[in-house]
Amino acid sequence: MTQVDLSTSYPDLARLEEPIHLYHQIQPHGVVFVLDEPDLNIVQVSTNAQQILGLQIDKILDANLEDIFDSFQLERIKAGIQDDNFDFLNPSKVWARVKGDEYVVFDGIFHRNSQGVLILELEPAISYENIPFLSFYHLAKTSINKLEETSTLNDFCQVIVQEIRKMTDFDRVMLYRFDEDNHGDVIAEDKLDELESYLGLRFPETDIPKPARQLLSSNWIRLIPDAKASSVQLIPAINPIIEQPIDFTHSILRSASPCHLEYLHNMNVGSSLTISLIKNQKLWGIIACHHQTPKYVSYELRKACEFLGRVVFSEISSREETEDYDYRMRLSYIQSLLIDYMSQDDNFINGLVRHNPNLLSVTSSQGAAICIGGNYTLVGRTPEEEDLNYLIQWLQNNIDDEIFYTDSLAQIYPDAIKYKDIASGLLAIPISKRNYVLWFRPEVIQTVNWGGDPNKAFLTTNNNGNLRLCPRKSFELWKETVRLTSLPWKQVEVNAALELRKAIVNIVLRQADELAQLAQDLERSNAELKKFAYVASHDLQEPLNQVANYVQLLEMRYQGELDEDAKEFINFAVEGVSLMQTLIDDVLAYSKVDMQGVEYQLTNAETALLRALANLRGRVAETGAKITHDPLPTILADSTQLMQLFQNLIGNAIKFRSEQPPEISISAQRLEDVWLFAIRDNGIGIDPQFSERIFVIFQRLHTRDEYPGTGMGLAICKKILECHRGRVWVESELGQGATFYFTIPIGGRERDRRRGRQAQNYLVGGGQ
Amino acid sequence: MIAEEVAKHKIILLVEDSKADIRLVQEVLKSSSVSHELIIVRNGMDAMAYLHQEGEFSNALRPNLILLDLNLPRKDGREVLAEIKSDPELKRIPVVVLTTSRNEEDIYYSYELHVNCYITKSRNLNELFKIVKGIEEFWLSTVTLPFE
Repeated sequence: MTQVDLSTSYPDLARLEEPIHLYHQIQPHGVVFVLDEPDLNIVQVSTNAQQILGLQIDKILDANLEDIFDSFQLERIKAGIQDDNFDFLNPSKVWARVKGDEYVVFDGIFHRNSQGVLILELEPAISYENIPFLSFYHLAKTSINKLEETSTLNDFCQVIVQEIRKMTDFDRVMLYRFDEDNHGDVIAEDKLDELESYLGLRFPETDIPKPARQLLSSNWIRLIPDAKASSVQLIPAINPIIEQPIDFTHSILRSASPCHLEYLHNMNVGSSLTISLIKNQKLWGIIACHHQTPKYVSYELRKACEFLGRVVFSEISSREETEDYDYRMRLSYIQSLLIDYMSQDDNFINGLVRHNPNLLSVTSSQGAAICIGGNYTLVGRTPEEEDLNYLIQWLQNNIDDEIFYTDSLAQIYPDAIKYKDIASGLLAIPISKRNYVLWFRPEVIQTVNWGGDPNKAFLTTNNNGNLRLCPRKSFELWKETVRLTSLPWKQVEVNAALELRKAIVNIVLRQADELAQLAQDLERSNAELKKFAYVASHDLQEPLNQVANYVQLLEMRYQGELDEDAKEFINFAVEGVSLMQTLIDDVLAYSKVDMQGVEYQLTNAETALLRALANLRGRVAETGAKITHDPLPTILADSTQLMQLFQNLIGNAIKFRSEQPPEISISAQRLEDVWLFAIRDNGIGIDPQFSERIFVIFQRLHTRDEYPGTGMGLAICKKILECHRGRVWVESELGQGATFYFTIPIGGRERDRRRGRQAQNYLVGGGQ
Repeated sequence: MIAEEVAKHKIILLVEDSKADIRLVQEVLKSSSVSHELIIVRNGMDAMAYLHQEGEFSNALRPNLILLDLNLPRKDGREVLAEIKSDPELKRIPVVVLTTSRNEEDIYYSYELHVNCYITKSRNLNELFKIVKGIEEFWLSTVTLPFE
């Protein structure tokens, strides 16, 4: 596996070299004057002035611009300088007198540097006329027409390099685009046939290191007409007015650094022209023009190229944005669908995973996981839950932002190597401290075509104890295989994930609100139920008592006058009232068994049993029942309800006795997380087909003549156990006696609440 | 002696809205051995007016026993009980709550308000006879109350 770590294996160029913008070598094809304003006295000059202008350097340093150029031209120039109108001034054709009557024409370019110093640079004018506007217009128009016909970004870039090459006649014109790591890819190239192609190659970041990129950002066009020419000095080296070296950032004549020149030599470049492409104040790319031999390009033509570069580049940006825009629109459409699904579904997680498009579509991922409260909902290809647990712990400890993404998780979290085929790329959004949504992308093994071995882009040689950088000599195709890396997360995808995060957070908050509302409603309806229970206990009983009492009063008062029929009728009336009374009492008892009224406490089941037996003692004595029990545990339960439970079940065992005296045994057994109680009798038993029915309210298997009762007892038992999150059931055969079982969870309510939540979340994640 | 006469002739104040229940109490008391007068008021407001000798009750006699239903129109039995038991003049009169309600809260609350006893009306007539007679005998004959 080849791993190229470009961040550490390269020497830090910025540290090794003196800052490029303070590099005071000047290309020899032009002359530099550093001027003192307002009189325009010459305070510094490049040493080649003597040769080009035929004047002694010390004479020049004493002189004023007027002494070199005729004053008529200078009037206009001075006016422009005063207004700081350099765009209007540049270039100014200036005639300098050399050797008596001979004049040489220069393109004069003025600028004021960051130190406020005025600098004039003269380049020999190779055309005496400006490039005719019309010919430039035609050039640009043809180019733009061609550009409009192309559809893809790459075709478009190809047209640019062809047109620029046509305009400038360089041997090779390349469009070079920087990626996020500042490596450059050659995405378009036009060249002489015999030259080796660089198209598709990637050049490491160090080929155009940061200081150089900064210069390219501020200096949009840069010409090195002869990469082999020896540069000249500025005299004096220190500016006498500001007493500092001059900042040459915006100088057009500034020499390239020796290292860059060597780089060009190694590439076999005799001259170069570089046009910067800037998007949103960032260096997006460059158009690099190379010639094998020295080549001079006039200032006008350079400006024309820059202009063309800018015009067409604005088109590139807008196309790039359109491509982005279309994708962004698609993503935001998907997003709005998901938000709809989330708010329609009972649970937002279902909304994210159960429809098409789903969570995966938001970021064009192959896998996604939603981790809420320690439970996972997985879609597509994802690591195992156990691995996700560790990954989330790692995220909790290392990531504080609203979003985290990487296209090479294994490089920062080595455990991820084992699931690199699933999750080399990770995009994570925390919903809250412990809840996350994660997206995964698999490893994509890519081949990167480097222009030469990026590990050897520079060699450092130790020359007399001085560290010196030597750019590589080979630019041949060098293939690198990139592993442990996924396709990169695009900014639009990252933004889409952030938008989704906002939506989820909103929905979670809203659902919490709704839950609170629901709890409030429940509380209210509970209170109403309690009120109803009171009404039932009082207001319904009053008329019953009235009927019973007056029927009895009749009987009492007119005893001698009533016949047997009348007495029987009166008995039926009284019995009816009595049954009604029992029914009301039982319904009331049933309604009183509710969660809120339950007081969970450590309860000795044996105590509850003994209380129940005490209440039943009359019937026990009547029937001669033999009741035995094992030692019973202490459990978390409501003691009154537990007592009622025993009382109902044992009461039933006595009531439904067989011919023999009842024998009833009560036992308890500890299972994994519940206590299992059993109440075994030797009674008449129950046909198994009714074993469910008997727990339903008002369901009876016998007439009241055979066995009295309302059919509420077991329904109450069932409700008591529901409140305790336990279960009750019967195992029996007709005539074989019956065993009623019930379970009570060991942990009591707290544990059950938690389990209740888990169960709910399991339902939520039911699609897994 | 006036005091002697008053002691012989007991005043029972029945606060009850249900005609049927009133009649039933009257029927039961017919067989009473204690000489008494049963005074009936049908709501809580009237009960308090009677006890304070207000309006039409300006000549009312102080009762020896109050039989109080809890659910009454206008002012309910709980309020009546609270007012009686917080009134220094009235609080020594024995009050028996006689009601259909077997609600535990009602029972607890009544004793909190210092009711003298709380009795649930029975739907068994014989039992009802026993209860009312018991009340009468206990409160009007057996116990010794402060002389007023």
